[in-house]
Formats: sequence, structure tokens, C-alpha cells
Amino acid sequence: MTAQTISIKGRVVDAQSIPLRGVNVVLINTSYGAATDGDGYYEITNMDKGAYTIEFSAIGYENVKKENIIISDKSITLDIVLVEEIIETEEVIVTAGKFEQKKSDLTVSSEVIHGEEFENRNYSNLEDAIRFVPGVTMTDDQISIRGSSGYSRGTGARALMAIDGLPFYTGDTGEIVWEMIPVTELARVEIIKGAASSLYGSAAIGGVLNSITRNISEKPLTTVNGFYGMYDKPYYQEWDWSGERRPFNGLTLSHSQQIEKFGFNVSFTRLEDASYRQDGDFKKYIGFLKTVYNFTPVSSLTFIANTFNKRAGQFLYWKDSQNALIPPERNEGDRIETDRYLFGLIYSSLVEDNLFLTLRGSYYRNYFIDNETPSNESASNLYRGEVQLHSSLNNFISLTGGLEGIASSVRSSLFGNPHSFQTGAYLVSDINFSFPLIASVGVRYDYSKLDTLNGTGAISPKLGLNYKLFDELVLRSAFGIGFRAPTISEAFTSTTTGGITVKPNPNIQPEHNYTFEIGLNYAFSSLFNLDLAVFLSNYKDLIEPVIDPVDGYAFFNNVLEAQINGLEAGLIMFIFPDVLDLTLNYTYLLAEDVVTGKALRYRPKNVLYAGLNFNRWNFQFGINFRYISKIEEVDDGLVDLGIVVDGDLRVPTYTTDLNFGYSFVSLDLPLSIYLNIKNIFNYNYVELIGNIRQIRSYSFGFNLAF
Amino acid sequence: MQFCSYKIFIKYFSVFLILIFFVVSCDHGIEPRPVLPEPPGFSGTITFINQWPDSIKRTFLVVFENPLLTPADFTIQNLKYLSREIPLGALEYQYSSLDSAYIPQTPGPFPPGSYAYIAVVQQSTEQLSFARKDWFVSGVYYANNDTTQPGTMVIPDSSFIQNINIEVDFNNPPPQPPGYN
Repeated sequence: MTAQTISIKGRVVDAQSIPLRGVNVVLINTSYGAATDGDGYYEITNMDKGAYTIEFSAIGYENVKKENIIISDKSITLDIVLVEEIIETEEVIVTAGKFEQKKSDLTVSSEVIHGEEFENRNYSNLEDAIRFVPGVTMTDDQISIRGSSGYSRGTGARALMAIDGLPFYTGDTGEIVWEMIPVTELARVEIIKGAASSLYGSAAIGGVLNSITRNISEKPLTTVNGFYGMYDKPYYQEWDWSGERRPFNGLTLSHSQQIEKFGFNVSFTRLEDASYRQDGDFKKYIGFLKTVYNFTPVSSLTFIANTFNKRAGQFLYWKDSQNALIPPERNEGDRIETDRYLFGLIYSSLVEDNLFLTLRGSYYRNYFIDNETPSNESASNLYRGEVQLHSSLNNFISLTGGLEGIASSVRSSLFGNPHSFQTGAYLVSDINFSFPLIASVGVRYDYSKLDTLNGTGAISPKLGLNYKLFDELVLRSAFGIGFRAPTISEAFTSTTTGGITVKPNPNIQPEHNYTFEIGLNYAFSSLFNLDLAVFLSNYKDLIEPVIDPVDGYAFFNNVLEAQINGLEAGLIMFIFPDVLDLTLNYTYLLAEDVVTGKALRYRPKNVLYAGLNFNRWNFQFGINFRYISKIEEVDDGLVDLGIVVDGDLRVPTYTTDLNFGYSFVSLDLPLSIYLNIKNIFNYNYVELIGNIRQIRSYSFGFNLAF
Repeated sequence: MQFCSYKIFIKYFSVFLILIFFVVSCDHGIEPRPVLPEPPGFSGTITFINQWPDSIKRTFLVVFENPLLTPADFTIQNLKYLSREIPLGALEYQYSSLDSAYIPQTPGPFPPGSYAYIAVVQQSTEQLSFARKDWFVSGVYYANNDTTQPGTMVIPDSSFIQNINIEVDFNNPPPQPPGYN
């Protein structure tokens, strides 16, 4: 009689069906165990019959424990999907201090969007995901972190966007081009709230967003990601301008490979949307290349190229509420073409013990032209270089310092042909006391010169404290002073449209702010995580578009002193750990003009997000709800001048999205499929007056990795 | 104990979810404004007396919501109607708020309400200017034949009012609002 060999085997993949290497597979209370190979396979042989508890664990992923697995006469196969670790206190953040820090060690409030959320919820554009981040609101494509911004049609941004640490804003308008960012290539997006000028300089006056791209796969990995969907018919029949359900689709092909010391990620994305609005259609092409050459284990050179091409209609405002999905006759057929390129180099090296050098250089070209008569056309070039040193002097003190220079040139029918130059130097120290207190102290000096305008300097200090009262309870507090230099478009716009003339402002000055926050994070076992923050901020010389009463021309000017206070409360409840969790986030914002006491434009007072997510049996389900109270103040001028008819119509926002997903890993297929229904109640609302946001849509997507 | 807490939580949370669903599924947010049988607005005739001065480069009909009591009242926010240019040399000009205009930019129903100052203005500058000093009032709307003060135009809801007539006598202009030279 021969003893029968009994085994348990299977494959472990992540949520995107990508095989995971090195996952520990342990039979609890036994000596049996194995690790997955490069294709995610594992096998434990020569087992005795019995009932086992098997645990799957890997760094960066949530452990999965399977209980009461019965091993009898036959071998069994057990495939597993590991989900990336989402316990916030263990998350690593690189944006807050420009080096790796545990999220629980930060002195400022931060948020993370994980890469898989883009697929699960079919976000083809980063700005759609940003809308669900606590403390962050969007008005059309303009971001506001804790009330930092209203809406100024793409001119200026009070948050700095970066991709792998390379700042990413246009040289003319200083705006963030969300649609250019290849979301399928992102591992995560880190968001730092509050003034971050002490490290990042101008534009980081309200906060920082850093898109971290995926690491290069150790094994060759090709991924195909696609979706097809359609908008439902509008709720009101009079809005049904096309008589059909308008389709949209997208396809991304990407490949990742490591060849000895050289590795690369490359992807190409095509997006097409017929739009639920007339003249809201677009075709977009996004190219992305990231190459890494490792000279040594502690020295590497990274090259990043991101290209974007768009041909799109320009829907700005509706004709009127009877015709809410078509533009006014004067704007019918308006179209725009854009071409944008970002090229970046990052060299990082451990030059001596505890001394880490990072060099960053980038070039960003932005070009657009519309079909108005005469055409508005603008081309800008932005060059940026940075030298950064980071050193851990000992176990308690680390220093981060650097120099940065930015130059831009513009040739434009709107802004003229100005040049600008900025330079900055910063030094930040993080001190880790043993009791256990972490202090972060820093200062940055910036000098900016905008063409013929006088040069101006600004000092931006910060002080932050992090105190772990107990293992589960972390207190944090931060104070920072920030500034933002005016953009070329704010200083030099000169155009006439619709009888309204916009004139340059040679006297425009930088705006300044201070922000203060105090917060706590309480993580109770694995049951829930509570985060609370109270923040105060004061903005001086806030730049807003105004009408000059002397000549009636519009221009950008330093007009406001604003006080913006509020609180954020975030709760994640792990109702059934690893299976069912609930996320609740509430933000209260009081944003007022100090002089008039009126609310600032486009700042909602109450924002609530709620999400319920289920994940088991390779099946995933989520429902996400968003409430934003009615905006109090908007661009009354656009309504008064009759530019936006019925522009006074606005309501609170209630949106509810559903998403379903299934991984075919149990059939040994590296395939995941997704179904999304957005705005399931077909609720009609605006962020920007006269501009209805997405009506109900259905989409089906898939992700194939091999 | 912990299990009981979760049961209670799930029970109340389910009730909360159902309530939310009920509330948001009945409300569809922004809806089209009803089509009015008669769009609110105004119309009238401008009559020009005597010879047009050669210096005039352009002429408009303007409607201000609030009275022009100080130069600060002359703001673009207070200016609710700015017609297209009235042809130079015209003897009579018929207008309607439904016609294309600079303000509002989209012709259509005019917001009902009370408007304190309706006038014909002229400019002699080369370019269109919104500076108060560049606007010369050559005719004002008077209500009920009361020429002692500018007439107020009242547009009720869903009513199109007519005969907002203005007489422009180039040789006898009305008193200028504050802020002219």
C-alpha cells in the first residue's frame, strides 16, 4: 500500500488579477507552509488529513485567513485575492515631507486614493475620484482643498499637483490638467491638506496632490483595461436633445517589464465620449512612459513622459433651463484642441551614509487653440529643476533641504508673450522624540518675477507636532504660512468677448495665507478608525476676477481677505473585517469675506460622503453616496449680465453610485470585470452655474493581466 | 455584546439607508422652468429730434435697476440692459428686450422687477467704454408724462410691457446723472 500525497495548492493575485509573488501561506498551528512563486502559485504537499486554518499574508496587503479547510483524501485548490492594506495608520506617505513617512507620524491631515479604485469605480479621470476625498470639493475642473478656491475658469490653482514629485501645472494659466494624468498607471494619489508652501512653494497654498505611479513589475506584465458605457436619457423629456443614449468608451494597453537593471512601464489610453450634452463630446489620447535604470541598488535614474491630445467640444453654460443640455446659440459648435507634453527626469542616489540626493528636472509644454473668430491660441513652456538632499542625522533627527528653479515662457493671443521666473530654497527638519513626540519644523524662501512686474519674495515657515497619546490615539497639529504668486494669465490677460473686456493688471501681488489645524486619529483594534480635524485659515490679498468701476473692464485683482474655518470627521467601520466596511466623511466649512461677511463663492458649507463596500468570494460590491449643500454664492455677474440664463438655479447635490466587480481568479483566468452605475437616481445638479453634471450612466469594464 | 452592537448598528443603518434612498429617489434636483405664456420684457420707440451731432460714435439704450444717485451707482452690476448699437442718424428706432443685446447676452425673458433708470446714451470714444465719464445721456424715459424725474419701469411676472418710449432731443439733453465730467 502506497501513502497518498495530499496537497493544497492555488494562486494568489491582487485586486487587479495581477499575480503576487512571495505571499506567505501558512497553516496555523502546524509546521506546514509555502510562499507563492513569480506567477502567484503555491503548493503545500505531503499533508495529513484534517481541518486547517490557512493564512495568506504579504507586506502591503490585508491578511486573509481561511478557517476550517477540510483536507481529506483529495488535494484541493484554493485561489485567493489579496486586497491592498488600507489601515490608514500603517500607510506610507511620501508627499508630506518629500520622504517616506508613516501616515500615523504625519503632523498634517492627509488622504490617499488607491489605484484600484480607479478601475473598481470606472474613474477615467482623476478629478472624478477627487470628488470623494474628505475636505476636497471640485467646481467643474477646479479643485478646492478646505475651501481654498472658488471658480475662475481655469486660471490659477491653490493646490499643487505633482506626478512622482514633479509639479504639474501649465506655464500660462497655472491650472491643473486632470484629464492628462494616466489613472491606470497610478499606484496611489496622496493628498496633503493645508498650506504646504514651506516645501512646495507657490501654488501649494491650499495643499498638495501627488500622483505616485506604479512600480515596474518584476515579471513581464501586459494589461488590457477597457470599458464601454452609455448615459441614460435625461430625466426631463425637453432635455433630450439627441433622442438617443449617448455612448462612451475607453481602452488602455499597458506593459511593464524589468530587464536586468532597466525597467519600464508604458501605456496608451484612448477615451471617447459622445457626451450627454451637445458640444460636450471629446476624444482623448494619453501616452505614458516611465523608465527606471538602477545603477546600483541605491542609485537610479527615472524618466517620465506623459503626452496628451484632445479634440473636444466646449460646453460652458446651458442655453437656459428649458434647454439645459445644449449651449446658447452663440456657443454652438465651439471646439478646442489641446496638445500637452510633460517630460521629467529624476535621479536619486544614496551618496553617503544617511545622505540621499534627489535631482528632478522637467519640461511641460501646453498648447491650445479654439475655433472662435479670431482663434484664442496659447503655447506655454515651463522648465523646472530641483536639487534635494535628505539626511537622517541620527535616529531622531532628519533634515530635508533643497533648491528649486522654475522658468516659463508664453506666446499667446490671450496673454501676450510674457516670461516668468521663480526660485526657492527650503529646509525642513523632522525630530522624533522618544516620549513619543514628532516635531516638523521648516521654512522656505521664494522669489518670483513675472515679466515686467516687480519681483517679490515670500517666506513660508511651518511647524507641526505629532503626539502618540496611546498606540491607538494620535494627536497632530500644524501651523503653516503659504503664498501664491499670480499666474501669467492673472497678470496679463487681455481680450474682449461678448462686450466684456478683460484687461491686464500690472500691480497684481502674490496672495498669502496662514493655516492652522489640530486633529486626532483613533484606531480601535480592527473595528474602526476615526479621524477628526479642526482647521482655521486666513487668506490675504486673495486674487479674484472683478469689474473696475472706473472703466468697466474686468481684471484680476487682490481684493479679498477671507477667513475659512471648518472641521472634518472621518470614520471607517470594519463591520465584518475584510468583508464589509463602511466609510463616513463629513466636512463643515465656513468661508467668509472678512469685510462683507458674505460667503465666498463656490464654497459649500456641508459635505458628506458615505460608502459601503462588500468584498468576498471574489465578488465586490460598493455603494457610494455624496451630499453637498447648496452653494450660497456664485458668479452673480454672469447671471446679471444674462450670460447664463437661469443661472440662479442650483440645488444641493445628492449623488449615489453603485459598483460591482468579480475576479475570475478561481477559474485561473487573470480577468476582472466591473459594472458601474453612476448617479443611479438621475439627479440633476450643477457645480458651476448653468452646467448640469453627469446624468445617470451605466458602464461595463474589464481588466485583463497576463 | 459586540455582536449585539453590530446587529443594532446594521438595523439602524439599514433604516437610515432606506430613508436616504426614499428621499433622494423622489427628488430629481434642477428642473426646467415652466414656459411662460408671455415672456416678461419691454419694448418701445425711441424718437430722435434735431440733427445728430457728428461727434457721436455709438448710441445705446440702457436700463439700470437702481437709481443713479452717485457715481458709484454706475456699475456694470447695476446695468441690466445694454442694447446693440442704434444706427447713427436714425429718426426713429423701435426696440424690444427680446432683441439681441450686449446685456443680457442671451435674448429671452427679461427678469420681472422694478427698473429705476432707462435712457439713451451716447459715446464719442473710439472704443466701447464702460467708464462713467464716457457716457452722455441724451434721452430719458419718463413715466406718466412726469418729466421732473426719471420714470420707473415695472415689469410684472409674465407680462410684456410696451410703450417704454423715449424722446431724444439733441439740442435739449436731460440732466446728467452724477459722475459725468
